[in-house]
Amino acid sequence: MSTTSSSCTSGWSHGPLPASVRIGENTLITADYAFKRFRSKQPDALRIGSHATMDGVHFAVGEGGRVSIGDYCYFTNAVLLCELELRIGNYVVIGWNATIADTDFHPLAPAERIADAIACSPLGQGRPRPEIAKKPVVIEDDVWIGPNATILKGVRIGAGAWIEAGSLVTRDVPPGSRVLGNPAQIVGEAK
Amino acid sequence: MNADRTLPWDWYPGRVPDNVTVDPGAYLETTYSFQLFRSAAADAVRIGRGSSIYLGVMFDVGSQGRVSIGEFTLINGARIICDAEVSIGDYCLISWNTVFMDTTRLPATVAARRKVLTAMATREPRRIEDATPARPIRIGRNVWIGFDACVLPGVNIGEGAVVGARSVVVEDVPPYSVAVGNPARVIRKLEPPKLTENV
Repeated sequence: MSTTSSSCTSGWSHGPLPASVRIGENTLITADYAFKRFRSKQPDALRIGSHATMDGVHFAVGEGGRVSIGDYCYFTNAVLLCELELRIGNYVVIGWNATIADTDFHPLAPAERIADAIACSPLGQGRPRPEIAKKPVVIEDDVWIGPNATILKGVRIGAGAWIEAGSLVTRDVPPGSRVLGNPAQIVGEAK
Repeated sequence: MNADRTLPWDWYPGRVPDNVTVDPGAYLETTYSFQLFRSAAADAVRIGRGSSIYLGVMFDVGSQGRVSIGEFTLINGARIICDAEVSIGDYCLISWNTVFMDTTRLPATVAARRKVLTAMATREPRRIEDATPARPIRIGRNVWIGFDACVLPGVNIGEGAVVGARSVVVEDVPPYSVAVGNPARVIRKLEPPKLTENV
């Protein structure tokens, strides 16, 4: 098990940041595993604003993925799975073990899934993978996302929304609303 | 436990905090479970006789938080997010990756949340303390909770109840019932043990 605490007060204490990562003043990234799945080849692959705390976050960003995160965000052991684009605003809070993904990673059609399984296998080297749907995920300012929640591709979560723990969000969430459940439904206003 | 409050079998170089009581007949796999523990309360964590706390358990307990775990309770993996009180009874079975939160840690209004996040960024370590009221969670005896389930602030789960895997419990679960789903609903009742049975 890797440790998530850090002795540094900002930056990342487990070596140099990948070249395509830019972080603002007083932003802290902990955990030695933060970039173990960071494979983006985009010039501006990960941009994080100032005063943010990324405690034990997995930045699993594919070759074409780009992630932007605003100021004063606070994520705890979140899993960010990005093949295209995650756009996250300011003052966003993401709880323990929540997952955000902008793709399903595999195609829906059965025949294409067989082709994908072969291409992903140790014997499939060089074989092209089928086209896989990707849609950006947008999380606006002041959103709170609880522990164990899941946000799927193409979702836009409006400013100030409250995503209850364990929710599975498959559709857009209007600003200021509170959602809950699997699939997540609007149950009221986020005070 | 050794005299210096380390564990003879531990892979993590930590100690059991002074205000944590582990019964000699209980098993605590690793002090890593206390990495986020910061309670100053007297008797902050109590682990009863015959209970086992395995490595997936994290006591994310704030300065005034108190957690009590009864006897013969098995917890494989739980994120215990506690600023007030989480109590778990005897003979409970609790699975992997479960969440017990008596607090959301951050206030519900946007303006208040911004204030807390701004202040937190200047703190070392960066932790949120007492920014919003907590509501205690109580799990009765003989409760079984499936993997990935979440128990939200203020929830009571009655004696003998079962919570299905991946359920999210947002309201009280009556004794001897099975609750499943997200949000969790009671789908059936269980027969309480008869007094003649040895329980």
